[in-house]
Amino acid sequence: MASGHEHHETFISKYIFSMDHKMIAKQFLITAIVMAVIGMLMSLLFRLQLAWPGTEFAFLNFILGDKWAPGGILDANMYMSLVTIHGTILVFFVLTGGLSGTFSNLLIPYQLGARDMASGLLNMLSFWLFLVSALIMVSSVFVETGAASGGWTVYPPLSALPQAMPGSGLGMTLWLVSMTIFIAGSLLGSLNYIVTILNLRTKGMTLTRMPLTIWTFLITAIIGVLSFPVLVSAALLLLFDRSLGTSFYLDSIYIGGQPLEQTGGSPILYEHLFWFLGHPEVYIILLPALGLISEVISTNSRKPIFGYRAMIISVCAIAFLSFIVWGHHMFMTGMSPFLGTVFTFTTLLIAIPSAVKVFNYLATIWKGNLRLSPGMLFALGMVSLFISGGLTGLILGDSALDINIHDTYFVVAHFHIVMGASAIFGMFAGVYHWFPRMYGRMMVSKLGFIHFWVTMIGVYGVFFPMHFVGLAGVPRRYYSNIEFEMFNEVQFMNPIITGFAFFAALGQLVFIFNFFFSIFKGRKSGQNPWGSNTLEWTAPVERIHGNWAGALPTVHRWPYDYSKPDYEEDFVPQTVPLKDGEEEGH
Amino acid sequence: MELLILVAVLLTVIAVAKVLRAKELVDSTKDPDGEPISPAEIKTNALGMLIFGITFLSAVVWMIVAWNKYILPTAASEHGADIDLLLNVTWALIGFVFFITHIFLFWFAYKYSHDSSRKAYWFPHDNRLEMLWTVVPAAVLILLITYGMSTWHDVMNQEEEEGAVRIEIVSEQFRWTARYAGDDKKLGEASFALYGKNSVGVATEVAMKDRIVECEKSIEILVKDSAAVEKLIAEDWNRGENLSEIKQSLKNYRANIRRINRLLGDFAVNPAKYIAGEDDQVINSDSIYLPKGRQVILKFRSKDVIHSAYLPHFRVQMNTVPGMTTNFTFKPIFTNEEMKIVANDEGKQFTGYILLCNKICGTSHYNMKLHVRVVEPEVYDKWIAGQTEFAEAFKQ
Repeated sequence: MASGHEHHETFISKYIFSMDHKMIAKQFLITAIVMAVIGMLMSLLFRLQLAWPGTEFAFLNFILGDKWAPGGILDANMYMSLVTIHGTILVFFVLTGGLSGTFSNLLIPYQLGARDMASGLLNMLSFWLFLVSALIMVSSVFVETGAASGGWTVYPPLSALPQAMPGSGLGMTLWLVSMTIFIAGSLLGSLNYIVTILNLRTKGMTLTRMPLTIWTFLITAIIGVLSFPVLVSAALLLLFDRSLGTSFYLDSIYIGGQPLEQTGGSPILYEHLFWFLGHPEVYIILLPALGLISEVISTNSRKPIFGYRAMIISVCAIAFLSFIVWGHHMFMTGMSPFLGTVFTFTTLLIAIPSAVKVFNYLATIWKGNLRLSPGMLFALGMVSLFISGGLTGLILGDSALDINIHDTYFVVAHFHIVMGASAIFGMFAGVYHWFPRMYGRMMVSKLGFIHFWVTMIGVYGVFFPMHFVGLAGVPRRYYSNIEFEMFNEVQFMNPIITGFAFFAALGQLVFIFNFFFSIFKGRKSGQNPWGSNTLEWTAPVERIHGNWAGALPTVHRWPYDYSKPDYEEDFVPQTVPLKDGEEEGH
Repeated sequence: MELLILVAVLLTVIAVAKVLRAKELVDSTKDPDGEPISPAEIKTNALGMLIFGITFLSAVVWMIVAWNKYILPTAASEHGADIDLLLNVTWALIGFVFFITHIFLFWFAYKYSHDSSRKAYWFPHDNRLEMLWTVVPAAVLILLITYGMSTWHDVMNQEEEEGAVRIEIVSEQFRWTARYAGDDKKLGEASFALYGKNSVGVATEVAMKDRIVECEKSIEILVKDSAAVEKLIAEDWNRGENLSEIKQSLKNYRANIRRINRLLGDFAVNPAKYIAGEDDQVINSDSIYLPKGRQVILKFRSKDVIHSAYLPHFRVQMNTVPGMTTNFTFKPIFTNEEMKIVANDEGKQFTGYILLCNKICGTSHYNMKLHVRVVEPEVYDKWIAGQTEFAEAFKQ
């Protein structure tokens, strides 16, 4: 592909139907921010209900109307819909599409020294499918019977039978259609990432000289390609059960006063198919975030990432194990106890590569020279969240302990910390760090600090007390926790949690303001503001079509030569040839 | 409340605007290639990490101490003690790792904050260290996994004891119904084809025949409805009535009659398992009794969607799944009165045993409960003797 030639672009081809990886990355990011705001606002609405059940909030009636908030009290069906769509949006549209879409697109060509993705067209399609599915998902909230409301896992028969609850009507159909389109987009993206990483590396960029970001994007894309199609099958079979009278998931059901004709299926089949994607999905979310912070921590510690090869092996091990642990979501379904034993074994094994990763991060910052930029703070915050949330996984992954913890608030605390907040922190770290690469300007660092501290305090304030709510036996997805006398004494924690949720939400306003303000008014950045080694910082600030004017850069070393002895500067970019007799760093 | 939020939002916006005004002035003097974060900012954040670290870890300790009284009291079942021990061992391990790693994390973030006069230590890898922190976690985990698996095995594979009480719990939106096995200690056959006035579908001969009559009546009504709607549609095709729904109901009932006839066929061949249902006792109440010190074998069925029977005090949970039966065996060791004393001794409250739904099942999921009373065996025997047998209850 020739570079530097004149390329005529109209507004539409540049900003809307763009095939340029940098523009597509921004499109993904901004869509994800909008979706995140929607998801967050939904969580605030249901947190209000949980903190003060039955209290009349006039503004709720104003927003939602008489049907969904009669007299200003959130309706139970609306509550379920909000919980369901909040989960779906955050898991799929923010942390899967948003995270991978943004950073894989931005960094894969840049860090590998490629002019663009292998297929610009597929890349564009992947964004547009993502956007269409996002629009369908959001619009499903406005249908007469309400959005899907069986929880983000939408287990049948609840989700298969419109008689079971209002949200299982048209809202559920839209949910399935949206997810199917989303997965199609996600697969196009993943295939493109894999092909680009394997084929378009510049001269000298061997696999073991790739930054860890690229490694995690590669592994994530492979997990996605292998697991998402299974969810499509699960969703299609569910659509058949709903619309064509088949019975893949239905058996012996008596509902609405009638015994159903459909028999012979099994709801457990759906759970197996769902979690066959569902668990790898956790790592589809987490691995790119870990890749981003590996880069951010190393650069800002001015120190090589500790144990580069061990990091790669850990990521591969986590990816492999992620495919054989799905049953730990199903210990209590009545499946054979022997299977429970097997899944306990494989699940707890994941703690080993995870522990290696944490220790390696600690070893990286040990005796470093830490530039505590907003990106670096979020990266360190993610390490903290990964530890706090990961450790409680030892309880949930142990089938014997899961008996009493399953589906309680303890689970909510665990996964929000270890994959929700933690991946969001990774994403923030990435946005602050690569913002200059995306827009040629810096974000306002003081606002970044405010944002970090508010978010850090807010996240722990929201999710840490939830462990105790769960240990008191309170189930998740309850519209109100005051119907059981035994839960009255922990009800006081709910207003505290909700208070922190609002506090954290205010902090996100600071981020959103900072983001859009800095796009237009931020301080102009230099070419390599963080003193980084990777190739994206050798490209011109102007972000030209084809990334580099003239020839592509050649790579001579791994990307983590920070503070290398015998060098004056505390970083040695990958494009600098090795000196005579110098050994490569790892 | 809303006013408060509004004020908070306004204040934040004003604060942000002020910060930015000052920021713009400072920024205009900065050179784009200079250090992006000032030494003063790094100092402040380093101190922030230290203070946050100390506050966070202290808050965690405080919560563990002060909020201990809110977590569930000692297990009220025999196997529960094993689970609680495993949980405490796991907690000790988790706590140790949590505090050590967090102390390192926050301390390093403070101690090694940026100083332009210093260069970071070149330390790209160390095979011995890496081996150490792979092998040690692996060894500890293997022990924990083995311990966990053996506890799980013991809990899930309990041998049936003499005098065990068999109870079937049937879930539906949004209630639980219990069926006790009666004098023969055997739960009779049941089928979803028989739900109706027969709330848990006990398949005795009388119940099956009665259900056929019930279904035929429904079909009769539906046929009439269907004819009426067809006539209306013939007059005006654009009617709102849903003919296809009526047709589907007809199919449902006709399939059901065929199903019951198959059951009757099976009854003719081996009647014993059907007759076993005649002395079963269906409890139509919002509370059930369990005997202290006797093994309880719970068998679960669901009528409509997946529910989950969760008895937190006993460390018992099992999903109830339409189309299959699931089960859980346990032995209560404290009566309600004793449990109250046990909990009070730990500084905790006890408001009675409960069975609640723990799998999202619809609109009123949050309020689906069954009270459980554990009583001395003699009291239980008296109570169960007073319950009506199915065959008798069904006649009325």
